Amino acid sequence: MAELWEGSLEKIDDYRWRIPKSYKPGMRVPGIIYADEKLLKDIRHDKAAEQVANVAFLPGIVNASLAMPDIHWGYGFPIGGVAATDIENGGVVSPGGVGFDINCGVRLVRTNLQYEEIKGKKIEELANRLFSDVPSGVGSKGEIRVTSKEERGILIKGSGWAVSKGYGTEEDLECTEENGAIKGADPEAVSERAYERGKAQSGTLGSGNHFLEIQVIDQLYGRQDCDELGLDLGQVVLMIHSGSRGFGYQICDDYVKNMIHCLQKYNISVPDRQLACAPVNSPEAKQYLGAMRCAANYAWNNRQCLMHLARKAFEKVFFKSWQDLGMFLIYDVAHNIAKIEKHIIDGKERVLCVHRKGATRAFGPGHPALPERYKKIGQPVIIPGDMGRNSYLLAGTQKAMEETFGSTCHGAGRLKSRSAALRSVNFNVLLKELESKGIMIRASGRGTVVEEAPEAYKDVNEVVNVVHNAGIAKRVCRMRPLAVIKG
Amino acid sequence: MCNKGPLAQSVEQDTLNVKVDGSTPSWPTNPSLKNYEFIDHTADIGIRVKGRDLKGLFLNAAEAMFDIIAEPPVSVQGKQIIKTNVDLKADNSEELLVAWLSELLSLSYAKELIFYGFEIKQMDKNSLQAEASGINTEDCEIKTEIKAVTYHELKIEKTGSGWQAQIIFDV
Repeated sequence: MAELWEGSLEKIDDYRWRIPKSYKPGMRVPGIIYADEKLLKDIRHDKAAEQVANVAFLPGIVNASLAMPDIHWGYGFPIGGVAATDIENGGVVSPGGVGFDINCGVRLVRTNLQYEEIKGKKIEELANRLFSDVPSGVGSKGEIRVTSKEERGILIKGSGWAVSKGYGTEEDLECTEENGAIKGADPEAVSERAYERGKAQSGTLGSGNHFLEIQVIDQLYGRQDCDELGLDLGQVVLMIHSGSRGFGYQICDDYVKNMIHCLQKYNISVPDRQLACAPVNSPEAKQYLGAMRCAANYAWNNRQCLMHLARKAFEKVFFKSWQDLGMFLIYDVAHNIAKIEKHIIDGKERVLCVHRKGATRAFGPGHPALPERYKKIGQPVIIPGDMGRNSYLLAGTQKAMEETFGSTCHGAGRLKSRSAALRSVNFNVLLKELESKGIMIRASGRGTVVEEAPEAYKDVNEVVNVVHNAGIAKRVCRMRPLAVIKG
Repeated sequence: MCNKGPLAQSVEQDTLNVKVDGSTPSWPTNPSLKNYEFIDHTADIGIRVKGRDLKGLFLNAAEAMFDIIAEPPVSVQGKQIIKTNVDLKADNSEELLVAWLSELLSLSYAKELIFYGFEIKQMDKNSLQAEASGINTEDCEIKTEIKAVTYHELKIEKTGSGWQAQIIFDV
């Protein structure tokens, strides 16, 4: 572990802590960390809080450099960081504020299946089928083949490409952030190398913390909200976590390199080169945003293809169509992205560039960006936990609109480094432990499973308590894993 | 892209100047003599790597990165060796180190190769020309996907006995 962070933190209330602007010369706004006293102790154990302060250097940043309770040490931005810059006042975009895995995100699919109907052999059959039919692992290649002309179509149409091929429905698009395709994607801003890295990876899960999970709902919080969403206790759901694969990594890499030169050109001073940035209105930023949106659309299409493959796997196991199995998409959210959004700042509507780096959009009820079906309850927010504990479905709130630019946490957040997990976790012991909890694992590599062991993560229940109690999302229901498919 | 088995002659490939030849150098990594150590980073992987001079530092950093990515095969005998030229420029040695590792990583994924041998033909603080030898990814056991090389906490320092660098990879 890194040295203990001993910077100053002022208590605002039970769930918010301020790093004052005076902490470091150059900070334009304070930092605000959402956490309770217990989580704060973990947060002080690495350099995440220092990174919150560093992000406060970004030109045009408004209100505060924010951190969600799943915050941990990243590179440049902390993971769990939210920062919004005012475009008209020299606000910048930073590729490091989005990260390499552009539009890494998660989707939740409901089913009509009940845990009692599928427990035991059927879950095993399903896990085996998903593991064999959904390509996973490092550099895995997909069965869904895409020509280079089609690849450009994906970058513009996002999930709409998959739907046009029959890999889903219009309703799936309605239940995806940005309808599965953010506008303003510019395929011309994408390097040949990025095309080359992304060519065979559509419809692949990838490795690391990416996964596909069969889960069961084990706790309801809002009966009415659950009824609206068609969710009940004991119901089986499917969660998919993946991103833009090598395509997105290359775009981020290309543009961080490019924007290091912008620091001098636009006279910008930041304490970490990974925070390289450029004014949103500059040609460099426009090019980056055009390329980033291509990667975002690539990722939405990827998750749509993964869901299609998963639906087909369920069909093979249950001899029913996915529609008869009730496998409808609840929602799909991005958690590494920069978006141009309107928010109220000091009583006035401003156009902001909102960076969410390991954070989820959580728009409150009535927001015009939400589909009709979610206008009443607010945007569904999907929070994956670790493979041994829980995951959550939350809903966005008005308070999130007021305090966090409509953002909330994105997961449990890492606690232990991968090497620390490899040192302390035994693969066979872990597998037995998970088995005793009724959790089945299918993975391409042992290393990934050990690195992603539950003890390497914060307890997602504690993280969700904070966002719920702070009011920046509300709990809808909780799930526990039954089978985990990993790369 | 790759045929199995040794080839009798070198073949030039595309504009990236990828060559295929039949030579079979041995895999250089001896697991008991690693030229790098891990430094703890919560989400990602950090390493500290040393070299007698800058060139040695760059070579060791590249070897370390691919040692994290893949298990070396028992032998490269009979496997097709593909050579790739790398030609880079940067504003300073730290950015050159990130450019070098990023280029190798990106080529590795784009060309589906694991690099194991590196020859730096020319380098100064701002530029580098090198040749990297790789074998097909399918012939290797992959351990970890490194997504990218970051500039975060990047350091190159002169030490009593040579040079040392700290690099954080996004995984």
